Amino acid sequence: MLFVSSRYLGNKIAQALITIFIVLCVNFFLFRIMPGDPLSMLMRNPRASQQAIQKAKELYGLDQSLPAQFGRYLQDLVKLDFGVSFMFKKPVVEVIGGKIGPTLLLLGVSELIAIILGIYLGIVAASHRGRIVDVGAISLSLLLYSLPTFLLGMVLILVFSVYWGLFPSVGMVTAAAKFSSWWRQSLDLLAHLFLPAMTLALTLIGEYGMLMRSSLIEVLSEDFIVTARAKGLSEREVIHKHGYPNALLPVVTAISINLGLTIAGAIQVETVFSWPGIGRLMYDALNNRDYPLLQGIFLLVCICVIVANLLSDLLYMVLDPRVKS
Amino acid sequence: MFATPFLRLSKRVGLFFLIGLLSISAFSAALKVGWTVEPDSVSPFIAYNLPSAEVFLLLYDPLVALNEKEEPVGKIAESWEISEDQLTWTFYLRKGIRWHDGEPLRAEDVKFTYDLFMNSGLGLFSGFLNGIESIECPDDYTVLIHSEEPKANMLMGNTPILPKHVWEQVAEEDLELWENEPAIGSGAFTFLEWRKGEFLRLKANRAYALEKPKVDEVVFILFANNDTLAQALKTGEISAAVNINPMQLPQLSLSPNLLAVSSPGYGFTQLAFNCWESEDSLGHPALLDKRVRQAIDWALDKKAILDMTYLGQGEVGTTLIPPILQKWHYRLTDTERRDYNPKKANDLLASSGYPIGPKGIRVDPQGNELRFRLYLRASNTQEIKAGQLIKKYLQAIGIDAAIETVDDGLLMDLIFSNADFDMFIWGWGTDVDPTTILNVMSTNEIFGLSDCFYSNEEYDRLLALQATQMDEAQRRETVYEMQRILYEDSPYAILFYDNEFQAVRTDLFSGWKRIPENGAFFFTINPYNYLNVTPK
Repeated sequence: MLFVSSRYLGNKIAQALITIFIVLCVNFFLFRIMPGDPLSMLMRNPRASQQAIQKAKELYGLDQSLPAQFGRYLQDLVKLDFGVSFMFKKPVVEVIGGKIGPTLLLLGVSELIAIILGIYLGIVAASHRGRIVDVGAISLSLLLYSLPTFLLGMVLILVFSVYWGLFPSVGMVTAAAKFSSWWRQSLDLLAHLFLPAMTLALTLIGEYGMLMRSSLIEVLSEDFIVTARAKGLSEREVIHKHGYPNALLPVVTAISINLGLTIAGAIQVETVFSWPGIGRLMYDALNNRDYPLLQGIFLLVCICVIVANLLSDLLYMVLDPRVKS
Repeated sequence: MFATPFLRLSKRVGLFFLIGLLSISAFSAALKVGWTVEPDSVSPFIAYNLPSAEVFLLLYDPLVALNEKEEPVGKIAESWEISEDQLTWTFYLRKGIRWHDGEPLRAEDVKFTYDLFMNSGLGLFSGFLNGIESIECPDDYTVLIHSEEPKANMLMGNTPILPKHVWEQVAEEDLELWENEPAIGSGAFTFLEWRKGEFLRLKANRAYALEKPKVDEVVFILFANNDTLAQALKTGEISAAVNINPMQLPQLSLSPNLLAVSSPGYGFTQLAFNCWESEDSLGHPALLDKRVRQAIDWALDKKAILDMTYLGQGEVGTTLIPPILQKWHYRLTDTERRDYNPKKANDLLASSGYPIGPKGIRVDPQGNELRFRLYLRASNTQEIKAGQLIKKYLQAIGIDAAIETVDDGLLMDLIFSNADFDMFIWGWGTDVDPTTILNVMSTNEIFGLSDCFYSNEEYDRLLALQATQMDEAQRRETVYEMQRILYEDSPYAILFYDNEFQAVRTDLFSGWKRIPENGAFFFTINPYNYLNVTPK
C-alpha cells in the first residue's frame, strides 16, 4: 500500500517538474519575442552614450546571443539566482520577496473566508434544495460570482469608506503614520486588509458555494444516501457524515487550482485598493519589458498552480481512499 | 458542525468593524497628496517624467525660481546682475545655506552641477544650460556664468543645484544607473522614504534658510487607478489629489469641504505624424506632404473629440505653446485657423493629387493607398477614445487609419528607435520657458526628443535666435513666428490643451492657492502650495 502511494507520489512530482521546465522555456522565449527593446525602455534617455548602453547591456547580460542568454539563465536558476530586475536594479528575489507578503496575506485571508463561507453556503443551499433558502443562496452566489471584481471593490469602498468611514481604501499601511506599538500597527494593517480581502472573498464565495451545492446535490441522490436515510439517520447526520465528505472531492480540486490562479487574478483587487502586491508588479514588469522580473513572477505563479495541483492530488488520497489503489 | 465556525466568524467580522473605527487615526501635520504616476527616479540625470520634476522642486533649490507672477526670485542666489554686453551673469549666493547632510553650500557646487549637466547632456535640465560657455567661482559665494551670446532663459530653468561632495563620487559612466537615494539637496524638504509603488515621503527641512514649510511632511501616495482617488479624498486618507477622473469632478464640486478644479494645464495632446524625410524612415511617404497633414487637421472635429474624451474640459488645440503660457502662446487669426471642415479637407486632398481609389480609399501619385497606422497607448483611455473618433473622421475623407493599441514602452521604442510609425497620439508637458517645448521640434532633436522627426531650417534658425533675444517683445515675435511655421507645416495636429483635474480638502488645510489665478495647485510653475498650506 505504502509502495503504491509513494510511486504515485513520485509520478506526480516528476510530472510537476517536467511541467515547470516547459514553462521555464516558454516564458524565456515568449517575453523576448514580444516587440519592444528593454534597453531603450531601461535607459529612457534617447541620448544615452554608447558606453552607458554597453555597460547596461553587460550588466543585464543582454550583450549575449539568445541561446547564450538562455544557457546562462538556466545555469543561474540552478543556483537559485533569478537575475537582476531591470526596473528596480535589484535581485529579482528581493523585488518579488517585498511584494509576495502582501499578496499572500490578501489571498490567504480571503481564500480562508471564501472556503469556509462558500462551502457552508453550498451545504445550506443543497440541504434546502428548491426551497426559499436555496433560491436565495443560488441568487446570491450567482450575483457574487458574476459581479466584476473592480465594481464590487468600488461599491465596498463607497459603502464602508466613504459613507460609513469605517475602513481605509488605499494601500496596506497608513502612509507616514507613527504607531505607538506593534499592536496599533497590526490594527492598521488589518483595517487596510478588510476591504480588499472582503472583495476577493465575496467573489470566491459565489464560486465555491455553487460548486459545493451542485456537488452535494449530486451526492445526495446516490444510493448510499438512501441507505443512510433508511438506517434512520437524521437529515443532519446524512448530510454531514455521508453527503458532505463525498461532495467535497470536486470542490477541493477546484479550490486548489484556484489557489494558484488567484495569485495572478488578484491584480484587479490590488489595482482598486492600490495594494502593493504581485499582481501590480507583474503589470509594471510587463510594461517595462523587465524580462528577469517577468520570468521570476511567471515562474512563481506557475509553481503555485502546479504545487496546488499536487497538493490537491495528495489531499484526494486522504479524502478518497480509492485513489491510492 | 458548520454552524459554529460561521457564528464565530461573524463575531470576528464584528471585531473587524471595531478595528476599522480605531485605526483611522487623528490627523497629523502631513500633507498627503494622491497621484497616479510616481517619479521615474530621484536622480536628475535619470528622471524624465513630470512627477520627478515636481519632487525636484521640493528637494532641490535652483539659483533662481519663479514666483506665482512668473517673476524671478532668488533661492540659492540672493541677487544677480548681468554685464553690459549681456554675456556675463553674476550670481551672489546666500550665505549659510547647508545641504541636507549638514555640509555648507558653496559656489563650487553650482559650477560642478552645471558642468555635470552640460557635459553629460542627461536629464530634464541640461537643455536649459544650452549656450553657457564657462563658469567661474571667484569666491565661495559668487558665480560668474559666461555665454557667447546673450542667454534669454537664464533665470527660468529651475535647474537643481547638486552637492558636489556627493556627486563627485559617481563616475560619469555610472550617472545613468546611479539612483541617488536618499537624495541630498538644499530644498525646503528632505528625502525621507520611498517605497516604490506605494508612497514617497519628504520631511520639512527645519534648517531651511528661506521661509520654512508649514507642514511636517509631504507624502505622495501612489494610486493604482484614478477612480479611487476621489473616494480617498472624501474619506480624508489624502488631503489633495492630482489627476482625478474628470467624470467625478462635478460630483466632487458639491462637497463643501472640497475645492475641485479643472484648470488649464502646461501641456497638450497631439496626433503626431511621421515627418522624417529619410530613406531609413518606416513611415508612410504620403505623410511627408504637408497638405496631407493639413487635410487631416481640417477633417478633425476637435471640439467633439474634447467633449467625448474629457467632457469638454480643456481647450481645442492649435499652436505648440499652450495658452497658459500667456506671454508666448500664439493665438491664430480666424483665417489662419483650420476649424473642422471635412469639405475643405476633401478638396485639398483631391487638388493635391490624392484621388479616391477603387476601394474608396485615396491613393497617392505613386499608387499607395492612404492607409496609416495609428498607434494609441493602452494605458490612456482618453487617448484611445480620441483615436477611435479620429478613425471615423478620417474615413470621411477617404483615409484609413489602422488603430494599434500598444503599451507605452513599445510606442517609445517604435518612435525613438527607428521611426517605425505613421501616426500616434500622446502628449507633452512644458514649463514656463518656451524654449523647452519649441526645442522638441528642432532638427537637432531627431533621435533625441523629436517624436515626429520634423526638420525645418528656418525654424531651427529662429529657435537659436529666440534663445538670445533679451528683449521680451522681440523674443515673443520670434516665438510667434515659429508657432506659425509649425501650424502651417503641421507635424502635429494638436488635439487639445487638456485640463488638469485636481482637488484639495479645505477643511483640513488652509491657504490653498491656484497658480496662476485660474491654474491648478500642483504641477504648476512653483511649489507654492507644498510650502504654504497650513494644517487646520
